[in-house]
Amino acid sequence: MDIFNIYLPVAEIEFNALLLFLIGFCVGVLGGFFGVGGGWIVTPALNIFGFHMAYAIGTDLANIFGQSIGATKKHHKMGNIDWKLGGISIIASIVGLEIGSQVVLILEKAGDVGSIVRWCYLFLMFGLGSLMFYDYFSNNPKKLKNKSVEQNTSAGSKQKTQKGSIAQKLHKIKLPPMISFPASGIKSVSLWIVIFVFLFTGFLSGFLGVGGGFIRMPALVYLIGVPTVIAVGTDLMSVLFAGAYGCFTYALKGRVEFVAAFIMLIGASIGAQIGATAIKYIKGYGIRILFAIMIVLAGCSIALEQIYKISEIPIFQSVAGIVLMGTAVIMTFIIITRLILEAKKETVKY
Amino acid sequence: MSIKKIITLLMLCFLFTCSYTNTYAGGEIGGKTETTLNKKVDTKDLSGVNLWIAELYNNDKILYAVVVTLVMATLGSIMAFGTDLVLKYFGMNVSKISHSE
Repeated sequence: MDIFNIYLPVAEIEFNALLLFLIGFCVGVLGGFFGVGGGWIVTPALNIFGFHMAYAIGTDLANIFGQSIGATKKHHKMGNIDWKLGGISIIASIVGLEIGSQVVLILEKAGDVGSIVRWCYLFLMFGLGSLMFYDYFSNNPKKLKNKSVEQNTSAGSKQKTQKGSIAQKLHKIKLPPMISFPASGIKSVSLWIVIFVFLFTGFLSGFLGVGGGFIRMPALVYLIGVPTVIAVGTDLMSVLFAGAYGCFTYALKGRVEFVAAFIMLIGASIGAQIGATAIKYIKGYGIRILFAIMIVLAGCSIALEQIYKISEIPIFQSVAGIVLMGTAVIMTFIIITRLILEAKKETVKY
Repeated sequence: MSIKKIITLLMLCFLFTCSYTNTYAGGEIGGKTETTLNKKVDTKDLSGVNLWIAELYNNDKILYAVVVTLVMATLGSIMAFGTDLVLKYFGMNVSKISHSE
């Protein structure tokens, strides 16, 4: 494998180009399919394999920016982006992010903020994962069909909220001004609710120090009531802008390793197109359950990292890295396999 | 101009202004210069593209940031276009889809 080793002039280290390509490819597939940036996979992966943390974050953001361009374009072509909702999401998220990062600075003065953040991270990942599992097993139309429960899931309808869901309850709050999102099939919702949701997800992003795609996507589905594929596309649009900002600002600070970002982007762009295409063949609940599995496994990795911080036994850190990369590789494999199988079925039909 | 283009343009202006002020505001506190902006890499044993990148990085961080951002955008678009063609060739053509859960 040494033949693939290259020298990275900005980070001033040797690194395996094939590994960079593979990390990029996996995160590209996941990003295109789930509408997330994938920073929570790439940054620790690069760090584990020898990148200094600041370069890992900067290089990852440059890669996220490049990969999300193609994937966003593809989702736009498929009609999966609600531009109006995305615009509000970006502005409110930035304000929330700033509040979150200020809270971290205040906590930092008070004591060990790192541990608090990691516990919150853990709680959020397992909480979100559990919620999505619960939703899959209790509201999945396929499972409810046998019980003859009428579901509002006809192909023509875009309003996919379940009866009594959080989104539907939030839609009932008539606090003016009211706003509609035709692209998402939302007839009327209070603008304050939408702003509050994005302020909250932005706050979590700033507090946890992550891009926030994995928080925003479920928030769009469960709190605002956006259909899953539109949530993925709209979130990806937000990721694109956040990535552009991150890429520029980190490069300005000299923390983007250009050569590494370039190689990763080749893999990520190919992966992102494959991931975005797979959306066509896998239905909303299929995406949600895969997402739930992924964040629970990522949560396990963070739990192992937390155990390492407490016990200082190095094996836990290594296992955390293996779990994280293993999750990314397995998810990529599942998505590609499903894509190939469904595409084959479609070819046979015609 | 469509609403999508206006949103895109406004967002890009906003984000790039934020990133610019964010980086340089820190540098002026207490009259000290930002240390991350002064970092230089060793160009002694470098040649070709690596040397060009290292010199660009050492000499002008703003230009480096612009080049990195533009190259990422261009490469992302080209690769997406190429991959799209390959996927179309294998019959995975995508157009507007109907949304179902």
